[in-house]
Amino acid sequence: MNPSKLQLKLFVERNGHKPESEAFIPIFHRWIKDHVLSELVIDVANYAHVPKGPGVVLIGHTGDYYLDDAEGRFGLLYSRKRGLASAAFEARLEDLFRRALHAASLLEKEAVATPAGETRLRFTTNELLFRINDRLAGPANDETFAAVRPALEAMARRLFEGSFELTRVGDARDLFGVKIAGTGKAADLTTLLSRVGGPPAADLP
Amino acid sequence: MNAAKTWKEKLGNTVPEAWAREIDVFETQIELRKKGKIEEKLFAETRLRRGTYGQRYDNGQRHDGAVTQLLAYPSGEITKGPTTLWDAPGMQRIKIPYGRLTIAQLETIADLAEEYSDRILHVTTRQDIQLHFVHIEDTPDLMRRLAASGITTREACGNTVRNVTGCPYAGVCQTESFDVTPYANAMTFFLLGHDDTQNFGRKFKLSFSGCKDQPCALANFHDIGCIARTRMVDGKKERGFEVVVGGGLGSVPQNAQLFDAFVPETELLPLAQAMSRVYARLGEKQNRAKARLKFLVKKLGLEEFKRLTLEERATLRPDPRWTAFLADLHVTDEKPLRAAGPLPAEPHPAGFAAWRATNVVPQAQPGYVMAGVTLPLGDLTSDQARQLADIARRFTGDTLRTTADQNMLLRWVSEADLVALYQALQAADLAGAGAGTLTDIVACPGTDTCKLGISSSRALAAELGKQLTGTELADNANAKGLHIKASGCFNACGQHHVADLGFLGVSRNVNGRRVPHFQLVVGGQWTNNAGSYGLAIGAVPSKRVPEVVKRLAGRFAAERQGDETFAAFTTRIGKKTIRALVEEMQAVPPYEVDPSFYTDWGDPREYTIDDMGVGECAGEVVPMVEVGLADAEREIFESQILLEEKKPAEAVARAYSAMLVAARALTREKNPNLSNDPNEIVAEFRKHFCDTQLFYDPFAGPKFAQYFFRIHDEHANAKDPEAVHQLIEEATLFVDAAHQAYARLGASLGGPALGIAPAVDSAPVQSSPSSGAGA
Repeated sequence: MNPSKLQLKLFVERNGHKPESEAFIPIFHRWIKDHVLSELVIDVANYAHVPKGPGVVLIGHTGDYYLDDAEGRFGLLYSRKRGLASAAFEARLEDLFRRALHAASLLEKEAVATPAGETRLRFTTNELLFRINDRLAGPANDETFAAVRPALEAMARRLFEGSFELTRVGDARDLFGVKIAGTGKAADLTTLLSRVGGPPAADLP
Repeated sequence: MNAAKTWKEKLGNTVPEAWAREIDVFETQIELRKKGKIEEKLFAETRLRRGTYGQRYDNGQRHDGAVTQLLAYPSGEITKGPTTLWDAPGMQRIKIPYGRLTIAQLETIADLAEEYSDRILHVTTRQDIQLHFVHIEDTPDLMRRLAASGITTREACGNTVRNVTGCPYAGVCQTESFDVTPYANAMTFFLLGHDDTQNFGRKFKLSFSGCKDQPCALANFHDIGCIARTRMVDGKKERGFEVVVGGGLGSVPQNAQLFDAFVPETELLPLAQAMSRVYARLGEKQNRAKARLKFLVKKLGLEEFKRLTLEERATLRPDPRWTAFLADLHVTDEKPLRAAGPLPAEPHPAGFAAWRATNVVPQAQPGYVMAGVTLPLGDLTSDQARQLADIARRFTGDTLRTTADQNMLLRWVSEADLVALYQALQAADLAGAGAGTLTDIVACPGTDTCKLGISSSRALAAELGKQLTGTELADNANAKGLHIKASGCFNACGQHHVADLGFLGVSRNVNGRRVPHFQLVVGGQWTNNAGSYGLAIGAVPSKRVPEVVKRLAGRFAAERQGDETFAAFTTRIGKKTIRALVEEMQAVPPYEVDPSFYTDWGDPREYTIDDMGVGECAGEVVPMVEVGLADAEREIFESQILLEEKKPAEAVARAYSAMLVAARALTREKNPNLSNDPNEIVAEFRKHFCDTQLFYDPFAGPKFAQYFFRIHDEHANAKDPEAVHQLIEEATLFVDAAHQAYARLGASLGGPALGIAPAVDSAPVQSSPSSGAGA
């Protein structure tokens, strides 16, 4: 089993003013213009009008970045769509974490307009949501969990350098999902990113 | 761990054999094209016939607000069609015949949106569902999964019979003659892949309506519109259809004409087959702009088209499918899941009354209602789709319908369950009120994803929704029933012609910069199956459209007489009055004063139409050209007023004059000695702009210029109101094309250097398209 369509969501801290997802439209356009990410990004899609939806999406060739409101929780979802065809699952997983954490760390540096004034996002660093966006390669069942668990545990161990918990989420119709929670002292995004190898160097085919 | 390694293997024989084979063939064609073994145009038509479209930026270029950047797709120069790069994401259209969707199908599409798209299901104005940002290599599996649930994407695009649309109330409607569902179903699968529908020059659209007066199936803008009728023969009720032909929207909207007031049900399918043959044989094949059936009907004349069709009908080899479906017209019947019962007594939850007032329609069957599910911009998420499937499973049964106003409809809701249904919809964030009202705005994809989009119709609709929802105006008894529809370009996918307030995306050049605009079209008729089309009043900057809507709707709210329609209201107060209001809103502040006018809604990039693939040349503004074009616009408006005043000959003359003025404004830059003699203007315009193809629209080619030449050759002699109306439409498009040519060819015409910051005027003046920049 080696699914390639993987997702990782980081949640924004609940305290503070929640910016409208549309506030990120100019930021994502600038990211395209200035080649901020080391991968091909193509367009910005706005679904802010849909409640608990994908919000604003930076559409890429190999992956998409959603500032979404799904599950009723605002956060950054990175969704790997293609690429890394010959890589092992562990390598795909590392790439997933590096891209998501890197994008989140970039977003934390952006000034974002809210009705109450300018703010900056702060991501929760001790809770992540992992999903397999492929019902064929990774159906939502215990078998899939058993298959991916060792690699997820290894990644969580690197990330949190201590204790953690993996919990399956969702039902049989949903995508396969696992909540990854660090149970020790939370580190900042930069630290987490460095633990998994730092920013991705380039888009991998 | 998983036995099946591919969807093909997993789905096995759950995919109908013929459909499975088609998809296998398509998958092979994908591989062959990647290897360069299929010519790109052929492959393009192949994928289009499977509903697999291109999308904006698929030529590998994207304007970032300052310059056009190349998108370096890893597959490089491999294409999936002319100027369409292999790796560029595209749109997958999923046909939903007459909008009928089962729970399982909805759940399948929800999964597909999640796994291959961006978790959004977009309901279109033709009752399809579209997924965006789909990679072509994902499409075979996507199609297999659809096929396993009973959906084919075959002929969702291309020069084929498109989705057969139908009244979403069919079978439960209080005013229908009879349920058209089994007829629409039979027509769909009879024409799908039929030999006689494979050689069209252009697309072909059919619709089915249960009654004549309601708008539900919009029969009048279809190639073939079928309206249920009954008649008594020897004391027995006989079913049939009033058949209208040759309707269409697009750049040249045309009302369908009555082909036959009563076609017996046994003759409906063979008649459609015969029409398909005539269209395939005689329809235009080379000039796409003239290839729809409406042009053939017009060219031949209705009577000749009818004669040829009936002659063809007589030669058809009998086909049992023509009538086989009549043996069981109940095959598509739906039965209620829950017993009918009265609405629970009050108190009801907050918001229920408002939702019920706008979204709930009584069925013909006592104790049952239909509940509209309002979808903002036609969008719902995969999660919402699954929740909606659960709601249908709990309250109504196996089917839902998509609607032409981009919503969904639950039928067979027991009134006893209505409160519980509302609460379930609330939990899914699907209980928005206002279905079919002022705030329920229809919009095509526009510049969000469409290659042809000029202005952002979706972002405009979203903005209008924000600004109108919850206002007194939206709740006003007179104004709340107004329909607003927005199209991103003249192709009219937003159906703006049949809105009370329609908006059509255009661009204007102001002080050397592009400014997104929308042409205001008022007074279209949504009722009577889209009975008549509105007229263009003038273009306003995108950023001022909300104010225009508020003013016009506000005035209607205050001054409506009785049950007067908005179309009647605009006639009563006069289009001059509306034009005056529009003129007040046309001013565009200089860029240095308010640069927001130079961006479109929802997009921070400085506005451009470069992403349509149109190059812009450098140069300087030549005020005389702009003045001439502004004069032409004014004359267009005057021609509309003359038509309204029942002076058709003068209206035609004025529209013709507008075209001459616009042509002369451009041509004079090439030939300063140009006189006012129409023959000379036409000859010189042809020489400098058509022989050179400089005037040709990047997508429509010579179409707009040909309008001009034809009216000149015919000495502007249209007389009947519909022909005059159309001629004015054509003149409007020609003048708009002149604007585009001017902006495109700025340098060679001594025009502005678009895309490059112009020199700042020492004394900036407000500029508007009607008054001319700096005039």
